[in-house]
Amino acid sequence: MLVIDSVSKSLGEFSLSNVSLSVEDGEYFIVLGPTGAGKTILLETIAGIYTPDAGRILLNGRDITDVPARERRIGMVYQDYMLFPHLTVEANIGFGLKSRADPAFIRGKVEESADLLNIGHLLQRYPGTLSGGEQQRAAIARALVMEPEALLLDEPLSALDVKTRENLRAELARIHEATGTTIVHITHNFEEVFDLADRVAIMRGGDVIQVGTPEEIFRRPNSDFVAGFVGVENLFCGTGSGDGTVAVGDLRIRAENAIPGPVSVAIRPEEILLSKTPLPENGKNVVIGRVDSVRPNGGLVRVSVDAGVQFRVTLTRQGFEETGVAPGDAVHLAFRSSAAHVYPPGEEEEA
Amino acid sequence: MNLKNSSYFRMATVAVALLIAAFIVMVLVGVVTHSPPAVLIECFLSEEIQFAIRLSIITSVISTLLCILVAVPVAYALARYTFPGKTVMNMLMDIPMALPPLVAGVGLLLFFGVSPVGKSLAAAGLAFVFTPLGIIMAQFFVNLPYMLRVTRSTFQGVNPRYEYVAKTLGCTDAQAFWRVTLPMSWNGLLAGSVITWSKGIGEFGAGLMLAGATRMKTETLPLSLFLNMSTGKLEYAIAAATILIMISVVSLYAFERYGGATHVY
Repeated sequence: MLVIDSVSKSLGEFSLSNVSLSVEDGEYFIVLGPTGAGKTILLETIAGIYTPDAGRILLNGRDITDVPARERRIGMVYQDYMLFPHLTVEANIGFGLKSRADPAFIRGKVEESADLLNIGHLLQRYPGTLSGGEQQRAAIARALVMEPEALLLDEPLSALDVKTRENLRAELARIHEATGTTIVHITHNFEEVFDLADRVAIMRGGDVIQVGTPEEIFRRPNSDFVAGFVGVENLFCGTGSGDGTVAVGDLRIRAENAIPGPVSVAIRPEEILLSKTPLPENGKNVVIGRVDSVRPNGGLVRVSVDAGVQFRVTLTRQGFEETGVAPGDAVHLAFRSSAAHVYPPGEEEEA
Repeated sequence: MNLKNSSYFRMATVAVALLIAAFIVMVLVGVVTHSPPAVLIECFLSEEIQFAIRLSIITSVISTLLCILVAVPVAYALARYTFPGKTVMNMLMDIPMALPPLVAGVGLLLFFGVSPVGKSLAAAGLAFVFTPLGIIMAQFFVNLPYMLRVTRSTFQGVNPRYEYVAKTLGCTDAQAFWRVTLPMSWNGLLAGSVITWSKGIGEFGAGLMLAGATRMKTETLPLSLFLNMSTGKLEYAIAAATILIMISVVSLYAFERYGGATHVY
């Protein structure tokens, strides 16, 4: 288990403030946040590149806060691979083993690791001659050959093209399965979360804002920031009345966890039904409005509806065509009370 | 060339460039072709020029090695670490470059001639004043900033994350430097060494002050050029100048070649 206990680190414009996380053995843990959230510093502090200003780091019960990077048994993979350009792929992968053992042993370990990443045929090449995906595989092999107790991945897929990224994402899942290594992976891309993560932490401005399973983060964000980050486009300020409803402007929205007092309400745009004809209530929230705009977006269509407050609805292209709506039409919207997620307002709001 | 697209401004700037290039070539060719080849070769083979070549090569190679030895750790500290006084130190290191070499020479002469440190060094057998050792010291002092600058920017060009990765793979700071940063800086160090060496070969002012101009004792190629010129032995002066031109051209080529191939990782 990797425990980050109240760690603070200030480093010029980037910083960590009192970050606490614990990552279970063998867990695939993703830290998600926008650029500048302090994600890389967090990884480099875990790896031992920086010493925290305050707090402790524990790895499998051992306090490693003051242990130098070389003795931590933590592997590091960067977005830009950082393969040593003057060494072959083989020498890169074997780099960390060099001082330890005889050449035959090293060769065996290097080949094993290269095979795991499907780059056995590239061992004699230099990094400069490899594609981005191949370089990233080599970088992962170089870290894994050390059999680290934890593997840290700093935006490992961000520098790759879409196709390669998908392949390598599947590869990461497979490697995690095969090796059972504890992985901490940081990214700003929410897509990577569902495929890979057991749990996710959301970071912003050096703080961890929410930790949970991808499903929890996706459906039950705890703040406007997280809601916005995971693509909840309908965020309303309202007042909970204590009877299971929230007043948002002139609307009363039924929500499952409607707490009394000032609240924020988050509704995912794809959880809203849209129709020209009245929709059956069946305990759902039903709202009437007028279509403001229709924006096709790849296979999806985004519809903006004015119902006193502005609703955004995402439909599949086919679903949209079936509704037959156009801007200016009066429409009915419906969504379940469980789709309306309520949390205290104004959390983590910074200028 | 499409005349419609070529402005007078363009023509004027290119013309100046061509003129100055022609001027440089004429100046250099004028030196090299001044003596008939037979005379030139005779001078090359003369005892005095042979001595100057040997002394120049030995002193410049040693001073270059010293520059590398000092510049590598200093440049690394300046490139990687923050420490109190770093900004001031960065400026101090560059001063000898801006200083007229004659002034540097006077300073060195006073330091090694009359200061207690210089006197005790001389007593210990390290005499720099009016000796070939002084030539090495003069070259070292004047040229260190050049080596330092190239080396510092080379190290700065190597992303420190390579070292971070090396450390997670079991390296100490020193091992990470030795196994990763230094090999990655090879081209830059080579280019810096070449430029330092060629400046060392041509060093005149500081060496003149500290080591003096004694024929067949502290007579490097530039000093030989100066001494022979002032005593009217023009063909010897030309011979020394020709060798210096050849060295400059070759080392510039090498610098461009390796310096130009420096990858910024």
